[in-house]
Amino acid sequence: MSTSKTKNSAQASAKHNAEDFLRMYRQMVRIRTFEDNANQLYLSAKMPGLTHMYSGEEAVAVGICEALRVTDKITSTHRGHGHCVAKGAEFKEMFCELLGKEEGYCRGKGGSMHIADQSNGNLGANAIVGGSMGIATGAAFTAKLLGKDDVTVCFFGDGATAQGLMYEVMNMAALWNLPIIYACENNGYSEYTKTAEIAAGSITGRAEAFGIEAHTVDGQDVLAVNSLTEQLVERCRKGEGPFFMELMTYRYHGHHVGDINREYYRSKDEEKDWRENKDPITQFARHLTSEGIATEEELEAMQAEIKADATAAVEYALKAKYPDASEVDMHVYAA
Amino acid sequence: MREITLSQAVNEALAEEMRRDETVFIIGEDVAEAGTPFKVLSGLVEEFGTARVVDTPIAEPGFMGIAVGAAMTGSRPVVDLMFGDFIFLIMDQLCNQAAKTHYMSGGKLSVPLVLRTNLGATRRSAAQHSQSLHALVAHIPGLKVALPSSAYEAKGLMKTAIRDNNPVVIFEDKLMYQEKAGVPDEEYLIPFGVANVKREGTDITLIATSSMVQVAEKAAEILAAEGISAEVIDPRTIVPLDEAALIKSVKKTSRAIVIDEGHQSYGVTSEIASRLNEKAFYHLDAPVLRMGAMDVPVPFSPALEDLTVPTPEGVAANARKLVAGEMLDGEMIHAA
Amino acid sequence: MPHDVIMPALGMAQDTGLIVSWLKKPGDAVKTGDALMEVETDKAVMEVEALADGFLAAVSAEAGDHVPVGQVVAVIAETADAASTAVPASNSGAAEPDEALAARGDTSSDTLPSGAEIIMPALGMAQDTGLIVAWRKQPGDPVAASDVLLEVETDKSVMEVEAGHDGFVAAILADAQQAVPVGSVIAIISAEKPENAVARSHKSAPADDGEASGNAVAKAPPIAAEKPRTAGVPASGGRILASPKTRRLAMEKGLDLNLLVENGVPQPYHVSDLKLLETLTPSDKTAGAIPAPASAGSLPMHIGARIAASGCDEFIAWLAEDGDIRLEPRLIWLRFAAAAFREAAGLGDMPLIVETRTVRKTDGRFADADRSRLSKPLSDAGDELPSIVLRDLSGSPITAATGSAPDAPVLTVCREREDYAVSLDYRAGQLDEDQAIEFVTGFVDRLGEPLRHLL
Repeated sequence: MSTSKTKNSAQASAKHNAEDFLRMYRQMVRIRTFEDNANQLYLSAKMPGLTHMYSGEEAVAVGICEALRVTDKITSTHRGHGHCVAKGAEFKEMFCELLGKEEGYCRGKGGSMHIADQSNGNLGANAIVGGSMGIATGAAFTAKLLGKDDVTVCFFGDGATAQGLMYEVMNMAALWNLPIIYACENNGYSEYTKTAEIAAGSITGRAEAFGIEAHTVDGQDVLAVNSLTEQLVERCRKGEGPFFMELMTYRYHGHHVGDINREYYRSKDEEKDWRENKDPITQFARHLTSEGIATEEELEAMQAEIKADATAAVEYALKAKYPDASEVDMHVYAA
Repeated sequence: MREITLSQAVNEALAEEMRRDETVFIIGEDVAEAGTPFKVLSGLVEEFGTARVVDTPIAEPGFMGIAVGAAMTGSRPVVDLMFGDFIFLIMDQLCNQAAKTHYMSGGKLSVPLVLRTNLGATRRSAAQHSQSLHALVAHIPGLKVALPSSAYEAKGLMKTAIRDNNPVVIFEDKLMYQEKAGVPDEEYLIPFGVANVKREGTDITLIATSSMVQVAEKAAEILAAEGISAEVIDPRTIVPLDEAALIKSVKKTSRAIVIDEGHQSYGVTSEIASRLNEKAFYHLDAPVLRMGAMDVPVPFSPALEDLTVPTPEGVAANARKLVAGEMLDGEMIHAA
Repeated sequence: MPHDVIMPALGMAQDTGLIVSWLKKPGDAVKTGDALMEVETDKAVMEVEALADGFLAAVSAEAGDHVPVGQVVAVIAETADAASTAVPASNSGAAEPDEALAARGDTSSDTLPSGAEIIMPALGMAQDTGLIVAWRKQPGDPVAASDVLLEVETDKSVMEVEAGHDGFVAAILADAQQAVPVGSVIAIISAEKPENAVARSHKSAPADDGEASGNAVAKAPPIAAEKPRTAGVPASGGRILASPKTRRLAMEKGLDLNLLVENGVPQPYHVSDLKLLETLTPSDKTAGAIPAPASAGSLPMHIGARIAASGCDEFIAWLAEDGDIRLEPRLIWLRFAAAAFREAAGLGDMPLIVETRTVRKTDGRFADADRSRLSKPLSDAGDELPSIVLRDLSGSPITAATGSAPDAPVLTVCREREDYAVSLDYRAGQLDEDQAIEFVTGFVDRLGEPLRHLL
């Protein structure tokens, strides 16, 4: 199977109009802003539990989700806020969920690691590493069984490639030509360990062993991610799935918000290099201004507007109601 | 009424529900042409095709995971797990994913799937193909657990399970597949959480599940010959449990033995005995007795295996002691 | 609005952070992302970045200070001018003082002096509250940032909490020896000497009003403590092995299991032994027969009482008019009798059957009459044996009656002009004297003031 490197190209640009570009930019900034606020909520001891930051990986979620329809499904991970925003979720319900409030997406019963937003096709984040691979493959199975042209994207990290479930379900997806894209966000670290120390051989080679077409793409380049995903989604709808994407990216924060002392597994210079030279938002902003799609002032205005949105949502969530005690045994069973 | 085997009853239930609802499909190892090693599914692939009777590789966590995702997105999978012992392989998908999705999503997502599997020792299959593990899943909130005790129950409970919007685990006793019982021609459902009084009595209540219902019925025969009147109750589902019916019976008889083929410690028998103790204490004239499988891995040798599960003679002997008001020293009798 | 610079929670088990150095000075212009200070936590030193553009101001902790996580250590003001007067945003309170307070668990609506808020710090891993051991400063006292303001006990250790700000103690919002949820505001330090320094106890906020710290309220609601129950069997001597059902039936029938022991019947006892016990108990089944004096368990006992009928009469009239509930007075007395007996005999949640009788006949048997609402029908107890009998002679000319109470204590109510005459007949084996007196007292109290006991 071929492994292709898709680059941010004039061809990709040609497919999009300014509106699409600006929406992708907006969604990436929304994710970054959401995470900055979530991080602050944790640091200032206002948020119960802990959380895993998506900052740095925005181009992956946005590039992929912008190629999907509302009815297409995704499954997400413990580092899932980015996927959730990219698939169409609102700040207010997300912050409420993070704070365990009644108006949260899951009425405060899921929290940061379990946000699900089925109205936008998000089947939920999963706190078991690799735990959603079966669910994603099952969603693709439903599409095939019921003759729908929905596509499912299964987000997971490089760490999850060590789980046996992945091999079982990729095997079946390939046997049955299911409309699913396995999207491996390779951020270089499996919790507190370098990927090279937990993964033997090549990541894409794992999928190729099952005869699944696999691609490696620059996960900091939103246009490259989007363009590749659009092609694969289209082919999935025609029954050519499954596919596998390895998206090379980076998480700016530690494994979780409390993982601050991390020099034993990665250097500050490395983090600085990614932030300064490979930031997906900065890079895309440069592209937008150089192509004349937006001015710096316009982008700054957009950022300020999103910041204000987030601040308002955080304030709302902090004051929002906790679920009533009577909810504690509600939703154990469906009616 | 016509008599059919438990195996045929399950087959009929699946066929009827698959005809009624095109989102129902079967997934598992050798479910299609092979019809499973117990031949329960024979003929279904001919009617419904391989798209809905789906053979999988030998990958229990994988196909269980796929079923969970399919159930969350509009399908109604019936997962065929060849042996109940393999439930250990799928625990994450069943207990961390399927059982919790509805709750964790605040009621937005649901997982209407059926996991068909089996229980029961004395098939000379040794410790990894003989376990009765229903208590393990009954411990997890979000799962329902049904234990059919005859062909009649097997059909009615299966049809209810497929229509339920929750993950339901049905354990069939693999020794009972060829046993016949009266099953009506016309369609029927058996609601969950409704116990069945199999035999009325006044001196002692025998609460039994799955194939232990037959053991209890035989024990009741033995006791009747001695002038002891035993009531036999089959809860049919242990989650939800028809607690009220069990308590009512025990209030009437003042004595109870709970019989179940799972291991005795921390098991179904303990749970039911405990509830009777809490809610019928002032009506008890004797301690509630548990009779489960011995707390040993199921041995292969027939000479040993038969010692591990409750027998009619063992149940009758214990009932006799309770009715006579003898002090019990805590030693359980598994076989006479 | 200025942005607070907060001592961050960085490590998994971190309570405080040490400020190693400030990288900006008050008044310096800062941009988002600029490193403001170096903080040491969990043996690692890291830089804390600015989260807003502006000017550093109101720096309240110095290099070398250990600052509790979550505490404001500086603010970033929007303009250089504002920097000179800036106070932490969470303290400024001008826009929404009530909300700011509510968000920290203080729902009082009276205004508090403005100034820096001192928060009950989160010190231990599993700590929800901190106990204030003592205040070292009083309202109105001047304080320096490094002065010890109070002592807090958490996780079995006592630590001193410094004021953290120069100024005056403008308010103390929790008492010494009070346990206060982590994150609550417990004091305010103002820059100027306050005119009226405030001192009061901490008031907890209801769980649903959006308290700031999610961890602090993530606990289950408290469950009302159950009162300890005494055993349900009145008057039994020694420890007897008997089934629960045997004990219950013996109590209901007024049988004494001791008699089985005395007669050498082997234990444990079951229901089947009660038949024998009934023959052993010298009971007089024929009404009016002279009781046998043999056993103390069978001695007839009598207690009489009198109470004005007006309370009960008014209550029944009120029920009919205001509540549209029309009941035989007997059905109200039944509830009173059950409640008083349950209390006196220490029955707890055990089932309690009361039989009612009128002049000529047995009226009915009711289970747990004290547990059903007036507007709801009583549950018929069928053939179950009663624990007590309520005899209503109020409609008859009889004004006093003493009976033999062969099966269960009999409570008789007679009407005598403006009074009710109440009497209890029982046998020594059925109740002990204290229980009997408590029972009659409890019943008469209820009869005198029905509303107080029902509502």
